[in-house]
Amino acid sequence: MAYEKILLARDNGLATLTFNAPDRLNAVSRKMIAEIKTCWEELAADDSVRAVLITGAGRGFCAGADLADPDRDSGATADSGAALEKFFNPVIRAMRAIPKPIVAAVNGVAAGVGMSFALAADIAVAGKSASFLQAFARIGLLPDGGSTWFLPRLVGDQRARALAMLAPQISAEQAKEWGLIWDVVDDADLMTTATGIARKLADGPTLALARIKDALGQASGNDLGRQLDVERDFQRELGRSEDFKEGVAAFLAKRKADFKGK
Amino acid sequence: MDETPVVAALQSGVLTLTLNRPQRLNAMSHVLIEALLRELARARDDAAVRAVLLTGTGRGFCAGADLAGAGPGMVDADGKPDLGVAMDRLFNPMIRAMRALPKPIVAAVNGVAAGGGANLALACDIVLAARSARFDQAFVRISLIPDLGGTWFLPHTVGDARARALAMLGASVPAEEAHRMGMVWQVVDDAALMDEAGKIAQRLASGPTRSYAAIKDAMNRAGTNTLDRQLDLERDAQRELGRSADFKEGVAAFLAKRPANFTGN
Repeated sequence: MAYEKILLARDNGLATLTFNAPDRLNAVSRKMIAEIKTCWEELAADDSVRAVLITGAGRGFCAGADLADPDRDSGATADSGAALEKFFNPVIRAMRAIPKPIVAAVNGVAAGVGMSFALAADIAVAGKSASFLQAFARIGLLPDGGSTWFLPRLVGDQRARALAMLAPQISAEQAKEWGLIWDVVDDADLMTTATGIARKLADGPTLALARIKDALGQASGNDLGRQLDVERDFQRELGRSEDFKEGVAAFLAKRKADFKGK
Repeated sequence: MDETPVVAALQSGVLTLTLNRPQRLNAMSHVLIEALLRELARARDDAAVRAVLLTGTGRGFCAGADLAGAGPGMVDADGKPDLGVAMDRLFNPMIRAMRALPKPIVAAVNGVAAGGGANLALACDIVLAARSARFDQAFVRISLIPDLGGTWFLPHTVGDARARALAMLGASVPAEEAHRMGMVWQVVDDAALMDEAGKIAQRLASGPTRSYAAIKDAMNRAGTNTLDRQLDLERDAQRELGRSADFKEGVAAFLAKRPANFTGN
């Protein structure tokens, strides 16, 4: 489908979703979040897509919900839960459920739900000048887009509370040091690095990557006994895949594996 | 006897609670815990309190449970101590009250935080520590496990591997190291600690109180919720906050590029 507030490109198994409202630092309007939701549905249904890269056009990654959006309901009876229920939460659920790895190239500020998008990705790489901000408390809200779940798991309970309550702006370096993101690179190298990672994943053993995503998604809610069973079941399934056969053959022959995602 | 084991002072929305048994490094006697429980109930019920600051008098923050005096009913019929009684009546209600308090709690850890004292600090929402402070999971040295929530706070704060080592080795961790591990939000020069912690508490006391309460509640539940369930929780909480006066003010201030004037409503 045709999008206006985002760009979607496909290149040989790798899809790139670009938030595209650069004059608003890619703040999320109603129109944009509706398009993002449709886009994830499209990507989930497209078997030719084996990895997704998300990034922002222009100076920002995503400045969070657009408070100046003319479509935003700001009346006295406005329901700020409704937009989460209808759009934002389905997007976060879709990002975690899609059986394909997601790489975020955080090219600038990631604020509010924009930061949640980066944290919901599987692997986030940021440019040195990027920054992260749980802006919600500054306007009397709590972090959403799953951030109240992501933060304590990524940085621990103490830092999570401070990040949510004090809403400080965090540098990319600090975010890496705390484990919020995977890596920081020079701004000029960001797209090359992130695309390189996404390309490697798109050419990788897609089924295994999907089961890794699923298992890690379950890990914090499982006890170890249950998780060992999950690993057993997934390993059994992966052991029957073509990519496993190819991976072992390539390993034994000391050649590079040629995975098909099957 | 201690005259005032906890000194309480309310100023501009900040209720400062100072553990006040300096001769015992503020070790927690039963009387001290009872006083803390009373003050936490007041903090909950008094709308004038919008943030709590917890600290200690003298060299220590809190040296843990005061082992010098066992209370009545804390010895079994066979003469062996029943530590569970004090946990049930005093320590656990205190930790639960701190986590359930719908207002932020800042800890200013001014010196050693040992045993239950370390976990008393970790039960706070935001921990500042003086450079000379230490966090000491001393329990194993007297053949106990970390209590006052320590076995929950540690893995949720520093990760499983470090948590096991801290608990089993009974390691004493200097403030800087605790900061690197994520137990402490900020390390401050000793002389500047109360100033800095006071500023943060004051800022929180002037902030969107209901937002902080919702953040606390969400973080309390995050550890056991699935992401799916947590997204529903965020939706419900955001719906409620979206109707608050502070949200209206926050958005208006953001759009007008001026500082918000939150009232806690």
